[in-house]
Amino acid sequence: MFDKKVIRRRRAALAIFVALSVALLTAYFGESGGGFLHAIQRGAQEALAPIETGASRALKPVRDLFGWFGDTIDAKDENERLKREVERLRSEVARSETARRDARELRGLVGLQREEGFPQGTRPVTARVIARSPTVWFSSVKIDKGSNDGVRLDQPVIASGGLAGKITSVSAGTAQVTLLTDASSAVSAQVMPEGANGIVKPEVGNPRDLLLDFVEKGRRVTEGTTVVTSGFTSSRVESLFPRGIPIGTVTEVDLDEIELYQRVHIKPFADLRRLDWLQVLTARGRPAETAGVLAP
Amino acid sequence: MIVGPGAFLRMAALLLLALVVQLAALGHGGLLGGHVDLIPLVVAAVAYYAGSISGCATGFAMGFLVDLAVGQTMGASSLVLTALGYGVGRYREVRDPSHSLLPVAVGAAATAGWVVVFAAVSFMLDIGATISPQVIGDMVLTVLLGALLALPVFVGTRKLLRPSLAVDPFETRRRRRPPRETGPLGLRGLEV
Repeated sequence: MFDKKVIRRRRAALAIFVALSVALLTAYFGESGGGFLHAIQRGAQEALAPIETGASRALKPVRDLFGWFGDTIDAKDENERLKREVERLRSEVARSETARRDARELRGLVGLQREEGFPQGTRPVTARVIARSPTVWFSSVKIDKGSNDGVRLDQPVIASGGLAGKITSVSAGTAQVTLLTDASSAVSAQVMPEGANGIVKPEVGNPRDLLLDFVEKGRRVTEGTTVVTSGFTSSRVESLFPRGIPIGTVTEVDLDEIELYQRVHIKPFADLRRLDWLQVLTARGRPAETAGVLAP
Repeated sequence: MIVGPGAFLRMAALLLLALVVQLAALGHGGLLGGHVDLIPLVVAAVAYYAGSISGCATGFAMGFLVDLAVGQTMGASSLVLTALGYGVGRYREVRDPSHSLLPVAVGAAATAGWVVVFAAVSFMLDIGATISPQVIGDMVLTVLLGALLALPVFVGTRKLLRPSLAVDPFETRRRRRPPRETGPLGLRGLEV
């Protein structure tokens, strides 16, 4: 154990592996997205994809078992919450039915073709989630659809309920989706129907809470209202996300007197902790007209 | 560790299996708010049984594979896992611990080291977002889940690597030395 040769060999091994890691880090940060290491990464992901797809299907019972433990513990609280939500939704359905009837009449009056809800003509491609980042710091998933299926960089990705993220890396048969909860994520958004604009950013480590930042202090934001992608367009830049994709509901508004902007907490519609299926919007589409009517 | 093609194959199989299980099964959902992380447990288990040199080599290889497969910053996981493998390996070499439940403590410490140091490295690199205090709770739960999972992971790793281990700590411990038959009269039969 105290043999000098052994000590030297041990220290040399540590030094070599640490130096290799630092060299990798430096090279990775130094190169562009099309560089050597990024290319190797894409190649490896492509090669691992069939194994991950098979394993993802084979190991679904294991996932379900882990999910069952958590679900059982959460079930009691969730039951109470769902009962309250059902009551709230019942009254909301009654209100929205009235609003829909009114809206139909108004549409008939102005004679415009309007479609409700989601942006139209987005050509969604459905994909299965085959791998997920193991850390909370890099919140991303890999899907089993790639450039062969029409998936391209920066295309928006939706999950059941609402916006999930965007495509950040594509190979022939797979693609990497960076989720809204990733530290690097930022989405321009609008609160409906008040119309306040801001940027949706994550609160890292808390997938049930997103922050709508840079909302002007004077703008009224009410709890329970819906936040959708604003899909802004100017002469120089255009948002990656089409207008009108639902993101979540406002849960809390922070009014700090010192800050210039309000900070709005949002509960995302999509359950970003448990994603099995996603849809990539492979065409930009056009926003639903109702979003424009609702905005002031 | 006896270095040879068999050892390399066993090690490669272990790392790939851990990676695929982590990404395809355990990474998909959490348990009680935390998530199960097999990666630091496997590196710690290899370092615990095979020593510091094998530990840091395994840590580097595991980190490299994780970064490749997940698409995150290359080198970050390798750096942390190299240090983790070396640390656990040195602990075993210096202290030569003997308690059969020690993998639980080593697994918890390794998971804690992994989540804390990886968070620190991520902060230093490119995390510019707001951090929720909930992340601390997530880390604590991840460490607890790591401790729960440590024993089966260590047992499985030992079984897989046993043919390539130069010294199996449990095997040598279990084998009782024959009683002394020479030396001072008072020490005979006392295994001194």
